[in-house]
Amino acid sequence: MKQLISTTINGRERELAVAPNRTLLEVLREDLQLTGAVEGCGVGQCGSCTVLIDGRPVSSCLTLATNVEGRSVTTIEGVAPAGQLSAVQQAFLHRQAFQCGFCTPGMIMAVEGLLRDHPGAGEAQIRDYLSGNLCRCGTYSAVIDAVKDVIAEVGAARDKASAG
Amino acid sequence: MRRFELLEPESFAAASAALLEHPEAKAIAGGTALLILIKHGVYVPELLVNLRKIRGMADITWDAASGLRVGALASLNDIERSPLVREHLPMLAEACHVVANIRIRNLATIGGNVSHGDYQSDPPTALVALGAVVELSTATGTRELLLADFLLGPYETALEPGELVSAVRVPPPGAGWRSAYLKFTTRSSEDRPAVGVATLLRLDGETVREARLVVGAVTVTPSRMTDVESYLGGRSLDAGTLAEVGRMVSAGIQPIDDIRGSAAYKRRLAGVQAERALELCSTMGAAR
Repeated sequence: MKQLISTTINGRERELAVAPNRTLLEVLREDLQLTGAVEGCGVGQCGSCTVLIDGRPVSSCLTLATNVEGRSVTTIEGVAPAGQLSAVQQAFLHRQAFQCGFCTPGMIMAVEGLLRDHPGAGEAQIRDYLSGNLCRCGTYSAVIDAVKDVIAEVGAARDKASAG
Repeated sequence: MRRFELLEPESFAAASAALLEHPEAKAIAGGTALLILIKHGVYVPELLVNLRKIRGMADITWDAASGLRVGALASLNDIERSPLVREHLPMLAEACHVVANIRIRNLATIGGNVSHGDYQSDPPTALVALGAVVELSTATGTRELLLADFLLGPYETALEPGELVSAVRVPPPGAGWRSAYLKFTTRSSEDRPAVGVATLLRLDGETVREARLVVGAVTVTPSRMTDVESYLGGRSLDAGTLAEVGRMVSAGIQPIDDIRGSAAYKRRLAGVQAERALELCSTMGAAR
């Protein structure tokens, strides 16, 4: 039997009717046409379906859709206004931190989670946090560089603001 | 995913009653273990009891007399990031931190972790070494069991019909203990452990006054190596002592074959990892 839930997806309140056996990933892709999160492994190992729930990265392939009732979900489609790029997306582009791009939405959402949890993360912490996001093109070192760029920019902006 | 129905009770009592009324149903919290089994067709449920609406069961509290109490619905990431856990029981924070990846640790709960009874997991090994107790509750009452007695075998626990793990408690470790948890993986770094070793040491200079050593993920439940613990008493952790510990662990453990290593390999590995864990604990282990 479908259950009716209210939830917030990318800042917009939604009423959704979800079957009990559906995952968040299925509902995002099939019901809401938010196809940025993709299914790689389907068992929480690859990270390509990463979204944020209340700011924390989770595997949407292992989250029952009903569990987001009353929570706030952010997908790759919600990190920047239409037609614009977030700082993380911009840094990925600048560093060419992707090749085929399949893992990229999940990778970027994991970085968004990292920046919320550890805004001043050093390289060891970045590597540790992103260790579960797999990239079969092997762009890992470019990803690390992109994240370091964002953290440096944020730090510089903060220093400037406090100096000003 | 295969079809099933969900009950979503709003209280612990209602969840317990639902499980009593539907003995074939299982409780689901984070879902990271159960949904994988369902996707693989290993577990085919008709009905699950979802615990998501139950409030107030994710608290982490510390009391000097009774120690740490972690509500069953606390996530592994809640535990690893808890200042209370990091201050008083750093080994538990580490054992939660090394589980899978950040996405899983944000979903998986400690109650689900111990109730699942999977021997290839990190937190149970650390918790057994710390003498953790599980609170098992129904709508009408609560009993307590040592986690070591709660875990009966692979995917097998002492949960009775209608019972749920409501909390995991860890008694205060007492002054002067150092601790370390050391994980070894044979596939990817985010994999389940091939071997996990939890150790606690109380040292007097170079001399071991008391030791605790638990080897996990090689036997169907974590194995406390009491003969090694008594052997270590009064000795210094020199190369000879460590080598003898490795030999004793390899000789005393009864590993099972699995996808992460043969029994023979794990027997050897368990000994080596026990030596390394003791060395880590004596040199780097956070003093408590």
